Amino acid sequence: MPFWRRESATPFLLLTPALLTMAFVVIIPLVFSMYTSFTGYRLVKPDSLYDWVGFRNYARILSDWEFWVPFGRTVLFLTVVLNVEFLLGLGIALLINRITWGQRTLRTIMMFPMMFSPILVGFQFKFLFNDNIGIVNNALQSLGLSDGAIAWLVDAKLAFFSIAIAEIWMSTSVFAILLLAGLFAMPRDPLEAAKVDGCNAWQTFRHITLPFLMPFAYIAMAIRSLDVARAYDIVTVMTDGGPAGRTEILWTLIARVGYDNSRMGMANAMAYVSTILSILFTWYFYRKLVAARRYMGGAQ
Amino acid sequence: MRKITALTLGTALVAAAGMASADETWGDYAGYTLRVKLIGGAQYEKLYAEIPKWEAATGAKVDIVSRKNHFELDKEIKQDIAANTIDYCVASNHTSFAPQYGDIYIDLNGAVKPEVLAEFDALALTNATVNDKLVQLPRHSDISNLFYKKSLYEDQANKDAFKAKYGYDLAPPDTFDQFKDQAIFFAKAPDFYGTQFVGKDEAITGRFYEMLVANGGALFDENWNPTFNSEAGVKSLMWFKELYDAKAVPAGSLNYLWDDTGMGFASGTVAMDLDWAGWAAFFNDPANSKVAGDIGLVRAPKGDGGKRSGWSGSHTFSITENCDNQAAAVSLLTFLTDHDNQMIEARQGLLPTRSQVWKDITAEFDAAGNPFMVEVFNTYAQSMAEDAFTPPLIEPWIEVSNVIWPNLQKGILGEMTPQEALDDAAAKARVIMEDTGYLK
Repeated sequence: MPFWRRESATPFLLLTPALLTMAFVVIIPLVFSMYTSFTGYRLVKPDSLYDWVGFRNYARILSDWEFWVPFGRTVLFLTVVLNVEFLLGLGIALLINRITWGQRTLRTIMMFPMMFSPILVGFQFKFLFNDNIGIVNNALQSLGLSDGAIAWLVDAKLAFFSIAIAEIWMSTSVFAILLLAGLFAMPRDPLEAAKVDGCNAWQTFRHITLPFLMPFAYIAMAIRSLDVARAYDIVTVMTDGGPAGRTEILWTLIARVGYDNSRMGMANAMAYVSTILSILFTWYFYRKLVAARRYMGGAQ
Repeated sequence: MRKITALTLGTALVAAAGMASADETWGDYAGYTLRVKLIGGAQYEKLYAEIPKWEAATGAKVDIVSRKNHFELDKEIKQDIAANTIDYCVASNHTSFAPQYGDIYIDLNGAVKPEVLAEFDALALTNATVNDKLVQLPRHSDISNLFYKKSLYEDQANKDAFKAKYGYDLAPPDTFDQFKDQAIFFAKAPDFYGTQFVGKDEAITGRFYEMLVANGGALFDENWNPTFNSEAGVKSLMWFKELYDAKAVPAGSLNYLWDDTGMGFASGTVAMDLDWAGWAAFFNDPANSKVAGDIGLVRAPKGDGGKRSGWSGSHTFSITENCDNQAAAVSLLTFLTDHDNQMIEARQGLLPTRSQVWKDITAEFDAAGNPFMVEVFNTYAQSMAEDAFTPPLIEPWIEVSNVIWPNLQKGILGEMTPQEALDDAAAKARVIMEDTGYLK
């Protein structure tokens, strides 16, 4: 009897479509892009795909300050954005959890920012922060809080702040929804026990609610740390990494090198170095998730 | 009114005559579907509304498989080259982008009838030629001249104050030094600005490049060594920096592109705007613009080298080598760039590439009693004839531009001195020129 007709072959046969799909959409592109990172591949010169340069692309990147500055800025961006989104999402989730009337409507409204395309969000905030005709400056001037045109998208700190605000506005609801789901799933017993034991609201939140929510928070952070690359669209529209590279993050840099400059080999090498960043963030949040769940198990 | 009616009738007759000859001219491609990728955007769409006429005349269908802005289209075409998926016949192109694409487009010399090519401006065809191949047929051209708010220059108080401060009469600037003086003089930030500039991407590289040339400098020497970090380069960069530091331009200028500058001038809060002719009709339309009826226009200023800035290029169409019906593609290209269709684009202020259209559009505006648009076409015709020059038509131009503009921004913002910024950009440009084989 041929192997594929044996009963023991059934699991392999059933898995084959999934494995083939994985191979085509994940493994082959990954292997191919890794190969190209060792070549001088230029998009407009298909023959350069065979131009093997060894570790030259990596050597150039590792010694290039203009790669490491956006790398560091991306880490900072991730850290600031994820933490602020977590804090705001937690606040919104706690507030909505206490509402007894109109909660469903509010939950739906809360999800509106997620429904916008990042490109639209970019244009919206580019207009808001426009120095000349933007409503932020106009409001500040009308309220007498500023008498000049604040260059939100030019000043190094303000430009970083502006793109972070746009990203936070769009994605805070991801945290809010996941944390709200956590609050809904929370058992009432420990809260009532804390009340009986005389804990005040802060103590109840600090020692019962928050530890219970942390696994949800780390899941949200792990998802968002991978998904935050969508900020590429926002940054491209608002500043395109500029001015003078002040808002350059890895994704805008890689897109410029790969597509505008056609140096796909170099861009893929950058992407592989930045993949390490994603893996580190995911690993960190996963460890935190496991620790938080273990803590909750102990607490129960 | 009678004049306009007569003009409309005349135009209709010319169009009808054009259609009558079109049936004979454009060929018979019944049943064939021509796949095309076109640049999209409001100012480009009117021409595409004419495509059904070509379809009716030839029996072919045009399938627009992609319609994007040029930067997105550029990325898409590069991916098509990489994936070897060029399964379309016609693509929008640009003289600045064309050298990147290698040999994917056919040489139109020989494909398009010589008598048709002879009707185009010789300079436009020269600028559309890459490595001795005419890889694109120019549709319309770009060059910038200086729009200004006339009333500011007619105001006696302004004239007196300017003369007292700068020692010469206030008149629309003829040099970049005068341009700078007047921009600083008129500026009252944050309510009013002297001028503005496009501040990022190839846009600011192009502005810097044309000033560099006007100041007697060059991007490269004859052996492709970068030379833009010269004295002329520093002077050009200083022009941007001094305007920025003096708050003569909006604080967000370094994020501005063409729409921002055009809308800024139309908002009435900017005294002078170095811009392309495509805005002219918009600027003078009271429904869209607060400066309508108050606009003057002069040729772009001169630099220290006595030359006017004249960074120029053309939007074009190309035919792919993979095209399975090049005759139909040539027919469509010829149709889209023919006299009548260039007239349609010229009525919006887009600069034609056929010599006869320059004359006819000027006569049409004259007959319609629109002296402003007559002035626009006369001024731009002169600058296209005498001042126009393209960036180097080399494959790595966009990549070189991408190392220049961030450093221009650093120089303007004071993160580096202008000399340091240009030296650093020149060193990076050298690596690119070495990598691409221009420098050994």
